[in-house]
Amino acid sequence: MSTPGETAGETVDSAREMLPDNSFLIQYPHVSRVVRSLFLTAFVAFGIGAFMGVLQALHRTGVARLVDSADYYTLLTLHGVLLVIVFTIFFLAGVFAWANTRSLDRPPVSKRFTWFWVATMSVGTAMAGIAILAGLIPSTDISADVLFTFYAPLQAHPIFYIGLAVFIIGTWLAGIDWFRQYLAWRRENAGERIPLQSFMVLTTMLMWFIATMGVAVEVVVFLIPWSLGIMPAPNPLLTRTLFWFFGHPVVYFWLMPAYLLWYTVLPKIAGGRLFSDPLARVVFVLFLLLSTPVGIHHQYVDPGIAEGFKFIAMTNTMFLLLPSLLTAFTVVASIEHGARQRGGTGYFGWLKALPWRDPAFTGMALAGLMFAAGGFSGMINAGMNINYLVHNTIWVPGHFHLTVGTAVALTFMAASYWLVPRITGRKLYSRPIGLFQVVLWFIGMVFMSAAMHRGGLAGIPRRTAEPQYPQVTFETVAGSVSSLRLQLAFGGVLLFVSALLFLMNVGLTAMNNKPARNLDSALPPALSGPDQSPTVLDNLKLWALIAVVLVILAYSLPLYSIVQGAGLYPAGQEASPAVIAPLLEVIA
Amino acid sequence: MTATEAEAETDSAVVGEETYADGTLVRDPDIEESLSQDEYDPKGTLALLLVYFLILALMWTYMYFVEFLGNGATVIG
Repeated sequence: MSTPGETAGETVDSAREMLPDNSFLIQYPHVSRVVRSLFLTAFVAFGIGAFMGVLQALHRTGVARLVDSADYYTLLTLHGVLLVIVFTIFFLAGVFAWANTRSLDRPPVSKRFTWFWVATMSVGTAMAGIAILAGLIPSTDISADVLFTFYAPLQAHPIFYIGLAVFIIGTWLAGIDWFRQYLAWRRENAGERIPLQSFMVLTTMLMWFIATMGVAVEVVVFLIPWSLGIMPAPNPLLTRTLFWFFGHPVVYFWLMPAYLLWYTVLPKIAGGRLFSDPLARVVFVLFLLLSTPVGIHHQYVDPGIAEGFKFIAMTNTMFLLLPSLLTAFTVVASIEHGARQRGGTGYFGWLKALPWRDPAFTGMALAGLMFAAGGFSGMINAGMNINYLVHNTIWVPGHFHLTVGTAVALTFMAASYWLVPRITGRKLYSRPIGLFQVVLWFIGMVFMSAAMHRGGLAGIPRRTAEPQYPQVTFETVAGSVSSLRLQLAFGGVLLFVSALLFLMNVGLTAMNNKPARNLDSALPPALSGPDQSPTVLDNLKLWALIAVVLVILAYSLPLYSIVQGAGLYPAGQEASPAVIAPLLEVIA
Repeated sequence: MTATEAEAETDSAVVGEETYADGTLVRDPDIEESLSQDEYDPKGTLALLLVYFLILALMWTYMYFVEFLGNGATVIG
């Protein structure tokens, strides 16, 4: 978020004096700067990742092949890592820094420590990003075409894995920063209920600390030594299992900040109040407990894991529907409260009283609607038997473009229209463009995701540059495969245009000389407040302990069985692609 | 902000000027009515969720016909 020229700076500076004293920017200029910095990285990653996305949509459908098919996996890795690791996590770190500070009403303990974790996350991201991009330059011998799902036997350059490790450490430090901020608040507020937004930040980070243990062991113990040529190739099933130990809860790491925005910001924008603070706390506790002991549901077709363990993972996964359904009720009831305060009536007529002209509201509401559809396809994925029908087909990307690609990404974009003026003091550049943009994203995703789901039912594989085979005919339930391809490509183009409009709108907002007005940072209290919930909900140590026990129950026997079965380093494993060999030759 | 969130204000006290992200007014104070927890019955939410569950039930039924009866046996294990 660059500062404009001197005159413009004065305009905004004088305008800042017009902001109310309780504006976040006035109260916490330093945290606002941290949030701006995190958002900038998130949005740059979003732009590059979105470009990779449209290239893939055009490529795999055969509409336009602008790159060599051999480079497809480099683009796919960039798309995955930049969007689901960099964009989401940098953005949520910004949201959490804002929310924790705002709701505790105090700044982080140490400015230097805050910038240290921002820098650590950034350095890790740069290392991983360089390793992936170098894959486009064959002469470098560096590549990381291992996709977002980075496990053996696919091998990346050590820089990629080390970068990931550094990035994860950065997120841990961020969590420590927010806990220190909370503990400082607690010393002065003994016996008080944890403010809701801070409660959400802390439970999410506890979940993240537990979830990242899997990926930390995978990367530090197995992948880095292997990619450096120090250790032999690890057991692929073991690294897969450790990856998915992290790989499923990471989706809740993306989703819980979106929930934070739905629970605390969306009711305000809708003109109402959160229906129930206790329900919101219950939902976040359930996510802390249930997010991690479910990862094996990504491995239903993996040989080497007994069906019984998979069944336990399925049962846990179905329990995870509970907090999402509770959220559907609480969030819709909260915005209905806003609609009725604004004069809405009837069973459905109240919907007309909502502020649909506001891109922040409409974007989040459409994101929630899309999440309801994603919930359905998620239930299909989670069912052990039905999963076989769609496993490794393009149905699966169709599903997660509804969840992370819309429920999360569209919420983040919509929230940006609300939050960016609050952390910059600058007026949103264009509300109509913002409104058009969020609706365009929704329409683009309807086309793309529906085509992906239907293609998956016809058996079209995912992660494939050219899924056109002369000896195989995919049979769709309705319509033709060629029409599905066109819908997928068309949807992808609409999404890319929407992404560009978003970046342009936010970029011009950051440089806008017109001041934002009336941006008070207070959020309305819940209709049913925290005093109506049991205090045990705030016992974070208890919930963290139970979460760890559940993880041990779900994972100890499967991991023991995997290691007993093929060992840590089975003989005959080879890396693919073998990037380390040429490097060692150069050194020799 | 702690005060507003942590204290249970069950009576609605949240009336006032609300703005769009760009600063234009959203709510017209004249038509504003403040609804407390006791006065508010989220029947619209119930209606919407019933519609959602109906869609879910229909889609599950549809899937049964298309994917199970439409195809041969799925080999597992």
